[in-house]
Amino acid sequence: MIEAVTLAKRFAARKPGAEDVVAVRDVSFRAPDGAITGLLGPNGAGKTTTLRMISTLVQPTAGRAMVDGIDCAAEPLKVRARIGMLSDARGIYARLTARENIRYYGALRGMAPEAVERAIERLSEWLDLRTLLDRRTDGFSQGERMKVAIARTLIDDPGNVVLDEPTNGLDVMTTRSLREVIRRLRDAGKCVLFSSHVMQEVSALCDEIVIVARGAVVASGRAAELLAASGRDNLEDAFVHLAGEESA
Amino acid sequence: MSRALRTVYAKELRDAMRDRRTALMIFIASILTGPVTLVLAAQFISGLEAKADALKVRMAGKQYAPALVNFLQRNDVQIEDAPADYEARVKEGRLDAVIVVPEDFDERFLAGDSAGVDIVYDDSRTDSSPSIRQAERLLRAFNRETGMLRMIARGVSPDLSEPLKVEHVNTATPRQKGAFLLFLIPMFAILSPLLGGMSIAIDSTAGERERGSLEPLLGNPVARWRIVLGKWLAAWTFAAGAAILTLGGFVIATSVYSGHRLASLMTFGAPEFAQFVAMVVPFAAMTSAVQMLICTYGRSYREAQTYVSYLATVASFVPLIVMFTGMKDAFWQLLVPVLGQQVVLARVTRGDAVTLLDWAMPALIAFAIAGIAVAAVSRLLGDERIVFGRS
Repeated sequence: MIEAVTLAKRFAARKPGAEDVVAVRDVSFRAPDGAITGLLGPNGAGKTTTLRMISTLVQPTAGRAMVDGIDCAAEPLKVRARIGMLSDARGIYARLTARENIRYYGALRGMAPEAVERAIERLSEWLDLRTLLDRRTDGFSQGERMKVAIARTLIDDPGNVVLDEPTNGLDVMTTRSLREVIRRLRDAGKCVLFSSHVMQEVSALCDEIVIVARGAVVASGRAAELLAASGRDNLEDAFVHLAGEESA
Repeated sequence: MSRALRTVYAKELRDAMRDRRTALMIFIASILTGPVTLVLAAQFISGLEAKADALKVRMAGKQYAPALVNFLQRNDVQIEDAPADYEARVKEGRLDAVIVVPEDFDERFLAGDSAGVDIVYDDSRTDSSPSIRQAERLLRAFNRETGMLRMIARGVSPDLSEPLKVEHVNTATPRQKGAFLLFLIPMFAILSPLLGGMSIAIDSTAGERERGSLEPLLGNPVARWRIVLGKWLAAWTFAAGAAILTLGGFVIATSVYSGHRLASLMTFGAPEFAQFVAMVVPFAAMTSAVQMLICTYGRSYREAQTYVSYLATVASFVPLIVMFTGMKDAFWQLLVPVLGQQVVLARVTRGDAVTLLDWAMPALIAFAIAGIAVAAVSRLLGDERIVFGRS
């Protein structure tokens, strides 16, 4: 389970005299286990910064984030062991094979070598990676690289999975298999939190939707609840209405 | 060593070895440095000897000085006529030295006056100095002989004119004569770890940033310092490896030249090799850590490469400073990174005694700086601007 409680992040101004950048003002939500929670918002709404605070790599200036009840700022190593984070930076090592890339993260996450090989077997089944496994990744397409990045994120079967704009730049086929993976994770009882600026993406996949605009949560709930709250009859209008209301 | 640290270390080494072109470049450059340097040095030395051995002078206006020509011929000196444009040729470096005889030489000589002779040379060119000295020596010998004859003719003992009988006794051992060559080995010993550690230092810091693999890497449940330590150990391994290969190349090359005159000028065998390695391995710990620290500020491989090449330039100035200023050994020099290593290594090549302190001081300082740099990298990787910053 992932929780954010009045999270805020302010980046100090680079030059004296310039104004600080407030990336996140007030974000609270709860992403339960066994459900897919979507952070939906326009570009620059603060989604990525929020996820980075959950992944412990950014320190919040106020509020707190928790994973399975553990404070992200206080015990980062414990939190990192409990989440698999597919960040917006998803570089892999071009001179290593796909298998070596995935294995590296398995070893860093403290898995025994045999367990790593078993997990690679399972994940390459899910992600249709088998033919790619023992090739060096430097010639991989974006979709293929993405699959490797997802596999290494999920290598130790983390209880919480955080995905930052996972479908960005992917073709239809890869997007479909990614959705499949996300549903499987939910069915296995994981807490899945992902961010997107694509309306259809979120509505097709999410159990819970959290709409973020200009650094704050403006609405959250199931799709039907959001429709009701906005008084619109389709989700896109509801989104524009809810996100726009705040920025107007 | 923790498992995570070993994992990072092994991954960085494997990654670097897979970069075939870079790895091969480091390997070949390291192994060839010694042999190539020695071949050039040997040629240089043989060239010096060849110039000095053949007694040959170039003269302009030899027809004006039959007495001098006679003297030179009696001494088996080959005399060549200098070309008309000898001054220009000396300037261009195509002629070493020319003895110029004025027209009134014979007249003054026969009258018993002192007659003037010029030696034209360019002393900014070091390789011409044997020829210059030879010409000078021959003219002086002529002087002495003529003077003696004149004194004897007047019934004076020639010893009167020579209160001092000067004999040449050179105290420099053959090894010390070759020491200028041996400046080169310390210089390469200092530069080789910079070359060897560079690729991992860049790739594991700025490379990770550029690739976008740094953030996911740091998202693993491993303390930052362990990751940094693993990366540094890998860079150190490469840096020290390159240095050891380079020094090994020198050992092999000197053994090939064992019969040559070069061998009497320099000794670089197993004991010198061992002492060099003992100095350079701690030094490599420092250079690779400092390279990593500098590269962490680089947003791309290319940018980091620029930073690192500045470091190499600064480091390569130190041996030059020592060479040109003729610095005398002093304790404080041991405390200055690079200079300390240079001074002690130069001492090893001269065959002078090296104490434990000479080794321990620079090594200790190198490790201290390495530790500080590794800690600083570890801190920087906790900085949001470095991890996420594209600016």
